[in-house]
Amino acid sequence: MSESSTAAPPLPGRPEPGSAGPGSRGTGPAVSVAGRERRLAERLAELWRYRHLVGNLVVRDLKVRYKNSVLGFFWSLVNPLLMMAVLSLVFGFIFPIGEARAPHLFILVAILPWNWFNAAVAGGITSITNNAPLINKVYFPREVLPIGVVLSELVNFLFALPVLLAIVALTPSVDFTRHMLWLPLIILIQGAFTLGFVLFLATANVYYRDTHMIMDVVLLAWFFLTPIFYEGSMYDRYTLSIGGQAVPGSRIAFIVNPLASLIANYRVVIYGSMQGPPSAPDLLFLGRTALTALVVLVGGYWVFHRYSGQFGEEV
Amino acid sequence: MRSRQPPDTGIPSASQPSHRGPTLSTAIAFENVSKRFVLERDRPRSFKEAFVGTLRRERQAQETLTALDGVSFELEQGGSLGFVGPNGTGKSTSLKLIARILEPTSGRIVVDGGVAALLELGAGFHPDLTGRENVFLNGSMMGFGRREMERRLARIVDFSELGRFVEMPVKHYSSGMYMRLGFATAIHLDAEILLIDEVLAVGDQAFQHKCRDRIAALRRSGISIVLVSHDNAAIRELCDRALWLEAGQARAFGATETVVEAYYASMVAREEARLAADRRAAGEAEAEPNDVEPEPDRWGSREVEITGIELLGPDGQPHEILLTGQALTLRLHYLAHQRVEDPVFGIAIHRDDGLHINGPNTRDAGLAIDAVTGRGFVDWQIDQLALMSGRYELSAAIYDAAAVHAYDHHHRRYPLRVRASQVGEQYGLVHMPARWRHQPLAEALPAADRPEDG
Repeated sequence: MSESSTAAPPLPGRPEPGSAGPGSRGTGPAVSVAGRERRLAERLAELWRYRHLVGNLVVRDLKVRYKNSVLGFFWSLVNPLLMMAVLSLVFGFIFPIGEARAPHLFILVAILPWNWFNAAVAGGITSITNNAPLINKVYFPREVLPIGVVLSELVNFLFALPVLLAIVALTPSVDFTRHMLWLPLIILIQGAFTLGFVLFLATANVYYRDTHMIMDVVLLAWFFLTPIFYEGSMYDRYTLSIGGQAVPGSRIAFIVNPLASLIANYRVVIYGSMQGPPSAPDLLFLGRTALTALVVLVGGYWVFHRYSGQFGEEV
Repeated sequence: MRSRQPPDTGIPSASQPSHRGPTLSTAIAFENVSKRFVLERDRPRSFKEAFVGTLRRERQAQETLTALDGVSFELEQGGSLGFVGPNGTGKSTSLKLIARILEPTSGRIVVDGGVAALLELGAGFHPDLTGRENVFLNGSMMGFGRREMERRLARIVDFSELGRFVEMPVKHYSSGMYMRLGFATAIHLDAEILLIDEVLAVGDQAFQHKCRDRIAALRRSGISIVLVSHDNAAIRELCDRALWLEAGQARAFGATETVVEAYYASMVAREEARLAADRRAAGEAEAEPNDVEPEPDRWGSREVEITGIELLGPDGQPHEILLTGQALTLRLHYLAHQRVEDPVFGIAIHRDDGLHINGPNTRDAGLAIDAVTGRGFVDWQIDQLALMSGRYELSAAIYDAAAVHAYDHHHRRYPLRVRASQVGEQYGLVHMPARWRHQPLAEALPAADRPEDG
């Protein structure tokens, strides 16, 4: 990025970072040097100093979202209920989804995490470009913006979870089990995957504004290709022969689509399968998903990190 | 905590204790910094353009704009620096580089201390949130948490004079309220370095003065200030160093007075050249003598006409821009179509907002002109021009002996531009040549009050 970084010797007599005297605190780093690569550790430390901004952006998003609406915050609770009603209507009566018990719950348990992902991606892509006035006038670590979007959508998802649990309680054919305790881990993995993906897309959208147009279509396709209103085993109708070995279609689907794996995990710990009760997730399966999420997060952050210095002049 | 500012007396206090101690370290250093922008139209903006671009391999050379070209300077902590220069020479780019909104294309920038950038007042305010919520949001953009901002809230609200309006969404604010809150928030964030880009030019007079006073107080308390302004008075008032940028390069860096003076001289020369070119162009267009169309700012019976006005500087040459304190001759050229007896020549100066400043004439001054025939001119000579910087308008007229009947009256037709560059003064309308004197009366102090005594 900066060809000059190696050529410039440090200034003689510079105080070490953090030793800039009694006045230095609060506002950003004590010493900042532009024109050289900043190490990852510095970036993360700086991000930590700006945690209040992340918090405030999340609060701002939530406040603004429900301002001027009659139901306000209750939309977070009502929305999943209405969505469940629509989906039950469609997949219970129009296209029945087979012999699933409690089809409404079968769908709801998958659609809520999908909604989080969908909203975070849709909002996150434009989080840099839509905040151009801010980026042009104020310095802060740019990743704060996409992180804020992913987190505020997470909060929305978390608001909807009690509704989901209430419906579980009201549904006789599905019981509470201790396997639900896996939820925080699954949510964490989804958060990492979503954030990495959003960081990448937000960067791409700065340079190519087509990104968010394309993603509209991609998200629609993604929704139907992810086992939300059907089970992953649907893909087993097809097998792929790799090196003479027949690989079931669902394996391929789970490898290609991390969200399919995540949603399968949500379903298995809350709802179970179409036939059986909830169970613990397959740890190997969950581990592979976690690894994918981590790779996406690191990759997305790396791309973002690489280009975010230029956002000030590109947006 | 930063030490409280001393009461704002306008007099720098030498006894102000520096919380930084005696060592003067660097607040901002630019080392051979360049910034180039790739011009928009050559960059692919969509996949399609990028795709087409890769197909046509013969990609034309990228067109770049060099905003800064190898600029180096250093500002010590507690110093104040003003950027001067024409538009589009990299002043604002420099501020954005210091604020880390932009990254340099090459070179190195070291910034020691937290930076508060007032590039735009109220940047980052969300219209749907209340003033108070926006203060917290803005504070967190500078890395401050809720509790730290709560401690400052009372002072911020107090300074902004918003009162109970702070609980109202900022979309209902007037632009003045918006800016007051933005400014109040920014200066209460205890940054070590304050970057100010032209924001002093907004808001009403009272607010501008309050901002300037506060900036001056912050400066005395040891905060480094970088200011971009086209208002040279503001630069003089607030900065002890100035950097003159011209086409991205540093033309001069040093004491404010010297640099601003040099910049002035070049600006005056440039503007005069432009005005001369304008006049030549206008003169060619108006070559036809047939000026019968009515002129609202001119009246009279025209037995004798004013054919032109010249402003002659101390060198006897015509100037478009005059300097306070210098000699000035105002020359009225006339053409009498017939013999006119006892004419009275007069002039008037108005400020461009209509304030009538003076209106001398030959009769009151005791200059008797028996009669005029044909061509000639009348001079009004000033040894020292008393007007301060500003735009003024000249009227010129020829009346009869009783000063009742107008032969020719040109009302506020001629611009007069004045710059106060050398008189060591900057405020108000007039410069009155004067001397200061100081007489200490040490013996008047009673012995008991004397410090370090006994």
